[in-house]
This record gives sequence, structure tokens and C-alpha cells, in this order.
Amino acid sequence: MTDTLSWIAVGTPAEISPDTGTLRVVVEGEAVCLYKLEDGSIHATQDRCSHGNASLAEGYIEDGLIECPLHQGCFDIRTGEAVTAPCKAPIKVYPIKIENDTIYVSGEPA
Amino acid sequence: MSCTHENKPDVIEVPITINRRWPEEGYTRIPAWVYTDPAIYKKEMDVFFAGDTWNYVGLECEVPEVGSYKRQWIGDRPVIMVRNEEGDINVIENRCAHKGAQICWQNTGKVKDFTCPYHQWNYDLDGNLQGIPFRRGALGKGGMPKDFDVKKFGINRLRTVNRGGSIWATFSDTAPDFETYCGEEVLAEIDHMLPGKKLRLLGYSRQLIPSNWKMYLENLKDPYHATLLHSFYITFGLWRADSKSECIPTGGGAHSVMVSHNEGKKKTEATAEMERFRDDLQILDAETVTPRAEFNRGRVGGAWVFPAAQFGIQANSLKTRHVIPRGPDSHELVFTYYGYEDDDEDMTRLRLKHANLLGPAGFVSMDDSEMLKQVQTGISGYPESVSVVEMGGRDTEPADYMVSEVLIRAFYQYYREAMEL
Repeated sequence: MTDTLSWIAVGTPAEISPDTGTLRVVVEGEAVCLYKLEDGSIHATQDRCSHGNASLAEGYIEDGLIECPLHQGCFDIRTGEAVTAPCKAPIKVYPIKIENDTIYVSGEPA
Repeated sequence: MSCTHENKPDVIEVPITINRRWPEEGYTRIPAWVYTDPAIYKKEMDVFFAGDTWNYVGLECEVPEVGSYKRQWIGDRPVIMVRNEEGDINVIENRCAHKGAQICWQNTGKVKDFTCPYHQWNYDLDGNLQGIPFRRGALGKGGMPKDFDVKKFGINRLRTVNRGGSIWATFSDTAPDFETYCGEEVLAEIDHMLPGKKLRLLGYSRQLIPSNWKMYLENLKDPYHATLLHSFYITFGLWRADSKSECIPTGGGAHSVMVSHNEGKKKTEATAEMERFRDDLQILDAETVTPRAEFNRGRVGGAWVFPAAQFGIQANSLKTRHVIPRGPDSHELVFTYYGYEDDDEDMTRLRLKHANLLGPAGFVSMDDSEMLKQVQTGISGYPESVSVVEMGGRDTEPADYMVSEVLIRAFYQYYREAMEL
């Protein structure tokens, strides 16, 4: 597969907090949240909740969902879909890849 | 004899003791302290506004879309009228379940949901608490107890009714249904003005009047003053002392219906006596006071729906009046002007033009707010004084003439019993 996306290095898996499973980074001026799930997989979404003005990196991960710290609305980390109220609009999901222990995020959302 | 006692608003028990004695003469006298005593005021808020009454909140056309809201008050209590996701209209308390702050600060607007600015507790359009910040703490520390249930901390939703596009609410679970509460006569007046056509909001006027809220209520139950205080009425022939009129107390005196007829300018014996009747004055723009023939055929009718709303027609101007008490010696008066969706452009223009008679600078209404301030100042200076309401007799029988204070007597008959005074 030809790699046509532009990749930006944002950190290492070890930098993702073992306590929260999240890391807030900035990609081309946009706040992005990195997640490390229980199965060890790593994902990236927009960091700002689609409902209130909150950082999802301060949220709570459970069963592949990120719960917003502000009003407990949940998003599917893999798809960005809004799963529970008050969140209705989805959040952006970013493609990632890991090479040489470095996480790369594409500036283009998937 | 007294007026009908059917549909009398019930009274809830309130533990406020008031050591006052009503004058021996009964409801033909009104002691000054009903307009000034803070304990009386507090009891009125609890017994009436928070009691078994139905309170006017607004018109459906004020909240046309999902999320459209109007801030309102029922007595002292701030509430919000809002259209929910299903398109139904809710009336919820304007009070965060957390610390009690008002969650809505603007008179009207449109939102997706409500967020209290203080700690950003978030509520849906039905008042359900959706989420609270840092419920799970921050970075694993703090947070609400695990058993904290957001379902238990929603905002109270009031019982509501939609009658022809007008929205009413009650805090009470025991208030009778709205139709029973209003009674036949009042309901007929509301239905006359709101015949089921879609309504169109035309505008508002609001003013703060430095007098007790009951003075405004009495003023709208007092046709006696109409041709005496309002020189505009008689000068330009809108209303005369010999006009065909009716005063009908209902709901045990709480509500009332008042009807008169705009019969045009005509000099008669009754009006000749009025010193303010000026034959030599002509209004330059007669359209200001001339209604286009409509369903009411010159009938100037109005219903006072206790405690704080009036539905009425003035020429072609359709309006509701709503009184918001602001302490013992002040109240806010809000006129909401509306028309029907099928009004032609000219009728809408006339409805707006005739609204010039009403509101804070209205050709007629401006006399009332000035006068009520003078009354409040007069009685506040003489707290042991009493007023006399014997015009038209000492009874509470409906009257088929205008020069009568029967509606005020009937009101105080109801009031004394409800307030246990």
C-alpha cells in the first residue's frame, strides 16, 4: 500500500499516562488525544469534546469508550462515534502508526 | 349574596403567622398593610403562586423551535419555558440542582441544552441532569461518590397545559385541571381570543411599577377609574361611563371577566359631566383609536386569570398582561402582543398601532403606572389607613354596568379566606 498520508511524530507509547491511558498532543495546531487501551492498541481522536469545552485527555476510559470529564458523554475511541448523551456529534479520528517506538499521527483525519 | 364559589382555587396550608386584624366592615375595606407587610407578601407567594393555582407562562409561538426558550417568573420563582426534542413545551425551574443558581440568564434564546455557568452541570431540555464535571475526579483523584446518581438530581418540571397556544403551569400536584380552575366564563374569554388559530408573536413591553402587585390586579378589576383617570378614553370616545358593560366575578372572586363596548364618540348626559371631556379636541390620526371590524365587533373584553395574568383586546391589539411581583412594593408588568398567523399585513399593522395605547408609554396605560405609584406612596405613609370600595354597593353580585367596584370586593372576599385574614 502506498503511504500517501503525511505523518507527524508525536511521542512514544511510554509517554501515554499509565494512570489515565491518555496523552494530549498538538498536531498542526489541533489538539489530539492519544489513547492506550487495555489490549495495548493505540488510537488518536480530536481532544476537544463535541459537546462542551473539555479535554478528553482528562476523561475516563472504559470498554473502548472515552468518557468526557465534563458531562460524562462517551465516544467510541476507535470510530469517534458519540455513544451517550449529552454528546450527539461524533469526534474526528486520526490514523496512527508506530515505527521505532515512535507514534506518528496523520494530520488528515481518517 | 355573593358571587359563584365554583372553581375556587384551593388553598394549601402555610405555616406563616400574621398578627393582623381585618377591618370590621369586611371586604368593603382594604387595610394598607396588605400592600406593605413583608410577611403578607411571603404568604401570598406560598399560598397563591406556589399553591394550587395555574399560572400564565407564555405563548407557544414564543418558543417556535426545538431548544427555543423563554425565561419567566411565577411569583418569586424563576422558571424556563422551553420546547424539547419531541417538540413539546416544558416549564422547568430556573435553578441548578447543585447550588441553586439560575441556569438561564437571558429573556429568550435558543440552546441545545442548559449548562449552569457556576460548575457547568449540564441539563437536557426536559431538565434531566446529563453530566457533571469531574464526576470521576481529575487524573484519578476526587470525584463524586460512586453511588452518585445523576437521575436523582434533575430540575423539577412543572405540570403544564396548552390552551389554544397559551402555556400555563402549576407547582402543585393537587391543583384541579386547568378548565375546572378557570371556570366557564374565564375559559370562554380565553377561547374567544385564542380560537385555536396559530399565533404570531408581535412584541413585548416591560416596565417596573413601584407598587404592590395587587394594585395592578385591582386596577384591572376596576372599571370605575377608566373614564375618570384615562382622559384619552373619553376625549376620543373609546369608552364612556354609559357604555354597555359587565363585571362578572368568578372563581369565588379570584378571577373576573370585564366587558365593555367601543360605541364611538357620542356626547350624552353622563359624559357631559366629566370635566375632562373635551369636545374641541380631535385626534389627528383617528386610526390610532379606530378598530377594523373583527370577531369582537367593538367588544373590549378581558379576563383576569388569578393570580397574575390578563387576556384582553384593545381595539385590534391582542395582548396578554402578566404581573411579576418584586417584593411588597414593586412589580414588573409585561405586555405580550400577538396576532394570528392568517392576519393580513394591514391587520398586523393595526394590531401594532393600537398597541400604542398600552405599555409603559401607552396613551391609556401610562396613567395606571403613575397612579399606582401615587397610591403606594400614599398608603405607605399611613400604614394604619384603610381604603373604601363601596362603589356599586356592598355586595359581590355580578354587575351589568361600569361604575362598580364589585370585582375588587369579590377579590378581597376570596383573598381574606385564602390568606386566613
